[in-house]
Amino acid sequence: MSVKPGYHGVVLNIDLSTGRSEKVAVPPEDLDRFVGGQGLGMKILWDRLKKPGVDPLSPENPLIFMPGPFSGLPVPSSSRTCVVTKSPITSPVESDYPHASTVSYSNMGGFFGPEVRFAGYDGLVVTGKAPELCYVVIDDGRVEIREGKRFKGMRTDAFDRAFQDSLGDRRFKTVYIGPAGENLVPYASIIHTAGRAAGRGGMGCVMGSKNLKAIAVKGSGQPGVADHQRFLAALEKARSALYGTAYAKSWAEQGTARAIVANSHAGTEAVRNYREGTFLEADKIGGDAARRDVWVKDIACYCCPLACKKSGMTRGKYGGIIHDGPEYETGVMLGSNLLISDMPGLLKAITIIDDLGLDQISTGNVIGFLMEAYEKGLINRSFLDGIDLTWGSVDATLAMIEKIAAKEGVGALAAEGVRALSWHIGKGSEKFAIQVKGLELAAHNIQANQPRGLSYVTASRGACHMSGDNIAMQNRRAMLDSTGMCFFPTFEPALEEPMLAMLSAITGREYDKTLFEKTGERIFNLEKLFNYREGFRRADDRLPDRFFEDPFTIGSKKGSVLDRGQFDAMLTQYYKDRGWDPETTRPGEAKIRELGLDSISEGMQK
Amino acid sequence: MESTLDSHTKSTDCVRDGMNLTRREFIKGVGLGGGAVVLLGQFGIHGAAWALSGDPLLKMVLVDYAKCTGCQTCEAACSAQNRPVTVAGRELPGLGNPRFANIRVHRFNPDVDVPSVCAMCSDTPCVKACPVDPDPRTGRRALYRDQATRTIRNDPGRCLGCRSCARACATERTGVITPNPATGKPERICTLCGGDPQCVRRCPFGALSFVEVRRDRKFYGLGPEQIAAELAKGWYGTAEFGGAQ
Repeated sequence: MSVKPGYHGVVLNIDLSTGRSEKVAVPPEDLDRFVGGQGLGMKILWDRLKKPGVDPLSPENPLIFMPGPFSGLPVPSSSRTCVVTKSPITSPVESDYPHASTVSYSNMGGFFGPEVRFAGYDGLVVTGKAPELCYVVIDDGRVEIREGKRFKGMRTDAFDRAFQDSLGDRRFKTVYIGPAGENLVPYASIIHTAGRAAGRGGMGCVMGSKNLKAIAVKGSGQPGVADHQRFLAALEKARSALYGTAYAKSWAEQGTARAIVANSHAGTEAVRNYREGTFLEADKIGGDAARRDVWVKDIACYCCPLACKKSGMTRGKYGGIIHDGPEYETGVMLGSNLLISDMPGLLKAITIIDDLGLDQISTGNVIGFLMEAYEKGLINRSFLDGIDLTWGSVDATLAMIEKIAAKEGVGALAAEGVRALSWHIGKGSEKFAIQVKGLELAAHNIQANQPRGLSYVTASRGACHMSGDNIAMQNRRAMLDSTGMCFFPTFEPALEEPMLAMLSAITGREYDKTLFEKTGERIFNLEKLFNYREGFRRADDRLPDRFFEDPFTIGSKKGSVLDRGQFDAMLTQYYKDRGWDPETTRPGEAKIRELGLDSISEGMQK
Repeated sequence: MESTLDSHTKSTDCVRDGMNLTRREFIKGVGLGGGAVVLLGQFGIHGAAWALSGDPLLKMVLVDYAKCTGCQTCEAACSAQNRPVTVAGRELPGLGNPRFANIRVHRFNPDVDVPSVCAMCSDTPCVKACPVDPDPRTGRRALYRDQATRTIRNDPGRCLGCRSCARACATERTGVITPNPATGKPERICTLCGGDPQCVRRCPFGALSFVEVRRDRKFYGLGPEQIAAELAKGWYGTAEFGGAQ
């Protein structure tokens, strides 16, 4: 079988139960229809899980690491790896299956995805469960599963060094979990280069359930491209669109942290467990403050001219080395949302969360919920194992983070997320348990930002700020996350044409805006069909009551609150525009045929 | 040479007195030991200003470590240029797997990135270590300095694959010369891309420049681990780091 240009045409299947690994061919039509990254990952997930309700922590659930067709080529900002699995976090209101959950995906920058392609694969699919803690080393065609007990319980920063040293070759790119993943905290993350994460959606938990501590990969190959000359010409244009521009410099200057102050002013920030949209002390933890007091180095992912990541150092009680942050999400979830304005304290929390291998967003959200419940007297200090979890307290936050990762005392319950906490506490706390389908919301608040509310409720993995605020954005994003390119450079309009030209030159398939979005629509609908099969319905696309009942009391959007009728009407229109049934949310037959998903929806409940 | 020295001194003073240094720039300066040398780089003063005394000037790819973000674009560009492909009878740059680059970015924890590239040493310890008898006609050993390009080149037909050059480079200089695992013949020696180094041209952050340097400048000919240790000390206050294998 001839290999499609732009691809190796195979994924590496690693079965940790049998210890066997093998190359598995990807059907060429899947490469056309689902591209790579998130899309192809979803198709593989669908193919592997032939029935609904599979326990996400069972050996059967695959953990899939997906680069895309841009990965491993010197395409600007094409560093991303999309990790795909069945979510260990989400669940529907009602379902026939006790382990029903959504798809899950988490998209990470760095160097891992490109290296997977250098090693000769379009993706890694890990299945099964090792008898004891292990790690996998992939060196081109050589794949070894090695015993990893000596790394048990190791935090990610120490592990990053020890593991790299043990491999004896700095060219290996590594991903790994911390204690939280080993302890099966549902919102555990996968960490890369000590400061990058596939944070959302429980990737580290699924990895932990397989007794897999780490994967190391390096390679000397590369896929070919369909039209070499055209690719090089488009690559030149893509570089020109970004290199040295004010746009690129702005990312290097502050990364996403610029939004910490900007969104506070705009009234769209998660503050005080989403009670407010403005943090009066945002400037203390924002990009300007970090640039002045913390950051020493701008860091870029593979072939990226933006360099949005920062490393630095703080002094004093909470002093230490900072691998990353504050970014917008980390700075807000552990800062504004908890009313923490002490920069070194904030950075300590961020650092420890990565070190333990937790998702920054869910962790900050959970602690915000607990702070509010404690303030309201719904839980007392003994519920919190003696931690005085008041707004703005760094020490209490740090103590809570450790408890969650260890699942110790109150941490065992907090590890299950805000929805489980609110069910346990009751007393009306569901109203301010800020989640959708069981996944916590991110750092974008929505009383004054209804479109982002749509993103949260309709996203395939539960509350996701990255899904897209409308149908076109969602389709484009699903496609973009299937290519290996990062979202951040794509705000630059001059990049679009060379980006499409590169994709066409690589794959030999002529991509224009329409095909790009249409392919994304197919991917998004596949995810929807998966979720529908598990039992997710309209009742699951639901925001917590806070957003309809608690108007902001401060800031530029003071008084803002969502209108339930308006929101529901918007949602109904969304389903109709998607070609989905507004009652059940099932994709309609016409849409399914249009997208060529007939074989997938066969036999599925109407 | 006096003028060179003058411009160096003046620039240094100007930096020391010029004082709108942010804390970050200050830390970066401290991290680079003397401070002055790097600050020169940061302020865009290159070329002859680097020279301090003594040896003849050599043009090489120089790194401003404070500006390097570790993106590896230099590696991809180097590999693409130095491993071209033939498409429809035309030689074109390859797709650039960084594995085959002559410049290599070494990544450490805490975050320090050290691009390492041939130091173009005027005293050529690698060439001196080559045990192949000089050709009576050209005077060249298997490894030799190409007088036209000033780069170090290897004649694979005469090379024994004994790895002596790589050992000399590793013990005395950057350690950039890497023996091919199968043949033992040296690889990763910078070609300067015929006078237009693609790593310099493609670096998105202006961290690389193609300039004349002298061997007594800061970090000349040091291995990546030594450079990383010193940078980490200045930037993060620690000399302990991982990934040092």
